Amino acid sequence: MTFLAPLLLLGLAALGIPVLVHLIHRERDQLIQFPSLMFLERIPYRSMRRQKIRNWPLFLLRCVALILLILAFARPFFTSATTVAGALGGGREIVLLLDRSYSMGYGDRWQRAQAFARREVNLLGANDRATLVLFGRSAEASARSAVDHASVHTAIDRAEVGVGITRFGPALQLAKGILEQSELTEREAILISDFQKNGWSGDEAVTFEEGVVLRPVSVDESDTSNITVTSVAFEREPFSATEQVTALARLVNRSRLSATNVSVALELDGREVAKRLVDIEASATATVAFDPFIVGEGQLRGTVRIGDDALQQDNAFHFTLSSGQLVSVLIVKPDVANPDSSLYLERALAIGNTPTFITEAITVRDLDVNALEGRSVVILNDTAPPVGSAGDALVDFVSAGGGVLAVLGEQVRWTSEVSDILPGSFGAPTDRGSNRSNVLGYVDYSHQVFDVFNAPRSGDLSSAHFFRHRPFTVTNPESILARFDDGSVALAERRLGQGRVLVWTSTLDSYWNDLALKPVYLPFVHQVVKHLASYVEPTEWYTTAQVLNVASLYAASGRRLEPKHDDPVAVTPTGERQPITVNDSSALLELAHQGFYELHTPGGDIDIPLAVAVNTDRSESDLTTLDPQELAGAVTGRAGAATPGHLVLHEQSPKEIEGQQALWRYLLVVALLLLTAETVLSNKLSQRAQ
Amino acid sequence: MATHKHTLVPGASFVDPKVLARIGNLELLARTIVDGFINGIHRASYLGVSVDFAEHRGYTPGDDIRRIDWRLYARTDRYYVKEFEADSNANFSVILDVSKSMAFSSGGLSKLDYAKYLAASLSYFANKQRDRVGIVTFDSEILERVPSSAKHLDLVFHTIDRAVAGRPGQLGDPLFRMTEFFKRRGVLALISDFYEEPDTILEAVKQFRAQGHDVMVFHVLDPAEVEFPYDAASSFEDLESGERIPIVPENLRAQYRKLIKEHTSTLARRFTEQRIDYAVFNTSTPIDHALFAFLSARERLLRVRR
Repeated sequence: MTFLAPLLLLGLAALGIPVLVHLIHRERDQLIQFPSLMFLERIPYRSMRRQKIRNWPLFLLRCVALILLILAFARPFFTSATTVAGALGGGREIVLLLDRSYSMGYGDRWQRAQAFARREVNLLGANDRATLVLFGRSAEASARSAVDHASVHTAIDRAEVGVGITRFGPALQLAKGILEQSELTEREAILISDFQKNGWSGDEAVTFEEGVVLRPVSVDESDTSNITVTSVAFEREPFSATEQVTALARLVNRSRLSATNVSVALELDGREVAKRLVDIEASATATVAFDPFIVGEGQLRGTVRIGDDALQQDNAFHFTLSSGQLVSVLIVKPDVANPDSSLYLERALAIGNTPTFITEAITVRDLDVNALEGRSVVILNDTAPPVGSAGDALVDFVSAGGGVLAVLGEQVRWTSEVSDILPGSFGAPTDRGSNRSNVLGYVDYSHQVFDVFNAPRSGDLSSAHFFRHRPFTVTNPESILARFDDGSVALAERRLGQGRVLVWTSTLDSYWNDLALKPVYLPFVHQVVKHLASYVEPTEWYTTAQVLNVASLYAASGRRLEPKHDDPVAVTPTGERQPITVNDSSALLELAHQGFYELHTPGGDIDIPLAVAVNTDRSESDLTTLDPQELAGAVTGRAGAATPGHLVLHEQSPKEIEGQQALWRYLLVVALLLLTAETVLSNKLSQRAQ
Repeated sequence: MATHKHTLVPGASFVDPKVLARIGNLELLARTIVDGFINGIHRASYLGVSVDFAEHRGYTPGDDIRRIDWRLYARTDRYYVKEFEADSNANFSVILDVSKSMAFSSGGLSKLDYAKYLAASLSYFANKQRDRVGIVTFDSEILERVPSSAKHLDLVFHTIDRAVAGRPGQLGDPLFRMTEFFKRRGVLALISDFYEEPDTILEAVKQFRAQGHDVMVFHVLDPAEVEFPYDAASSFEDLESGERIPIVPENLRAQYRKLIKEHTSTLARRFTEQRIDYAVFNTSTPIDHALFAFLSARERLLRVRR
């Protein structure tokens, strides 16, 4: 225990007053006249009389009251935990919820939060139990219900700001579980956070039971400023045999003041290649376009970086770019074809950049091995593949992973010499009759081709009318992806080697149907081609806390990981090596850091390093706060005991600690009660004496 | 008890009818032979006219021939005069201690007031049986003196009324001086609180016995002097000397009681040895009761001793 005004303790010398009162003062006060002291003087007792204290209870009452009064004026306060426990009775269950989302890295928020947490642990009594819950997107309890407060201290010291976002729900749910399991009567959760609005949706449905207290402690600043790179978009264009990419960085200024001359730099493979200075209005966004750059064969690592501000974690945006995002499509037409039979097809494939389709139309006569070189998809538009070497080349093409779309139109003749790559056999064209047409009646929406149409108002495939088609008989009924409403096959698939073959039993022009005139035509064609090309939409970056399936990442680059043989190793942005176990074609890696993960397959025959860019969730960059009381009220159903912000801006001075504890009030109350009791007691004794 | 303000004779208020009614059928008889002038109830130091035969003596000329015992003359042929014991009245004096300590009172009647009642009652009682009454008041010296006389009752009452306890007192010197006043043998009633050593008291009182007086000693004490009922630690002040000492009464109560008891019992034993009647009068005891008890006991003892 320490005192704010220790000099006042000199007042303890006043303790002599009750002693004097009890030993001397009362005797002098009362004078009794007696006829003669003849006999009294004979009694040898006088020497003891002055030393004996009369009425011990009254004497002690006065002494204690005086001591308490002096202690109250000396303004005592506790600096250590055990003493406070002794004073307060102990036996509390405390859960310290410490926000470690990356917004806590703003300024000195984290240091203040740690200091406050340490102080709360210091205030714990010997019988108190404490749990430290570190939370961001998820919550994790360390030193659970620990009576050993040193372990909680250690956990606080070891805790670091993470890269996650704030989610109060899991943390409060965990705290609720811990507190409800506790048999101690006094239970309290102390939520130390910057109270970002994004962390609390109000739908968390966490309610503390009666008697459990939630004390919010805010460490946010009243005025914050933060500029963040929220995303980078890319415009790809074919350039020679490679791609030319233009990067567009989107910046957000989340402060009340406009920012001028914000430096925005683009780094490629660790080298700064461009720099821009931009002005961003308050609470506004800006887009910065960099000069185009070429993406070569290998994977390109890029970063858009802005200058320093108080929150560092959202100042850089990482991404990776790979070549091969161009899908080359070869349209094979019959030797004598309708002049516009491929018109709609070519027009549809000319649109779009994710991916960019490069189309080339040739006649079947020109189809040979060379023509298949570098192609991803071959569309046999109303023609059968050629016989001979070209036909064999096509089969090899498919087996190697290529895709073929066979459009069964008016002119197609599939002779027996032609390699059998179709999922079945077809017959002569059939009409539904005059003024009658077919529509697509059954569609396998679970298939990648139709997946995009699955959601409501995502395109009505049944709007197209099919007047003629070729009946198709599949060898495997499961290969049917779509049927007309009369039950005949519209689209069927066959896997051949690593590739796929799709059969469309009508045409892709406007002769046999009006699909080409419908809005669903373009996405349908794109989906069919992307499926045949095994196109995987490239992911330029991932977000922290995402779980990445490394196996599918490798598969997208054409590599299959064998369990135990190809177990990859991830090198995290912090330089740690993190082995990944391949299990049934999946290998999971949790992305816990911001930056570039590098994946290696040291056990494989070929080590192809893959880079994965990871960025923090930019929703955390929005530092808008909610009212801590609102949150506490929602969780406890009553107004919370608020601890105002900025409490832990600095180490608390003795005066502040004393002010918070205010022990002098209790001492004063007890002293006054004792003095009242003293008055009553002394009055009674006085009356009895009289 | 009535107050003297409503009586004609100051001091007569100290004579309580209740007391007199209680002791009215008793006699305050001198245990010794007293010197008196008139017929009374006490044995006189001379022979006189009474029914009690004393002795025969030879006739001398001048004797009243009516007192010759003719029967004896017939037997002896000599003249003998028949003498009878005389009954006389007695000088009854109250010796009243009016020292400061007598002013003490623990709540009720002060010791001096009690002593005044006692003195007045005794005087009135004695006067009523035709004794001559007088009074001497003293503290460290003799203050007032009323010689014994059958007509001095009013004076005695006046003296009693005026008596005020004002100064420290002592027994030895005043009592020694008083021996000059009591030449004729009589009855003396000494009323005091006797804060002296027993030897000193005895030396002083013994002188009266040596003169042949019948001495009655009334030791007046307040109940607080006997019981010492104080609780709170206090400073005790000696009424006479003014000396103060701090006292924790509860610690020495037992010892005090023992000492006061020893004192009274010593006095009782020593006075009895000197054939002096001694009685402790507690001011909390009604005076009629106390006086009746004393006089009754005295009467019984008198019969035995005769």
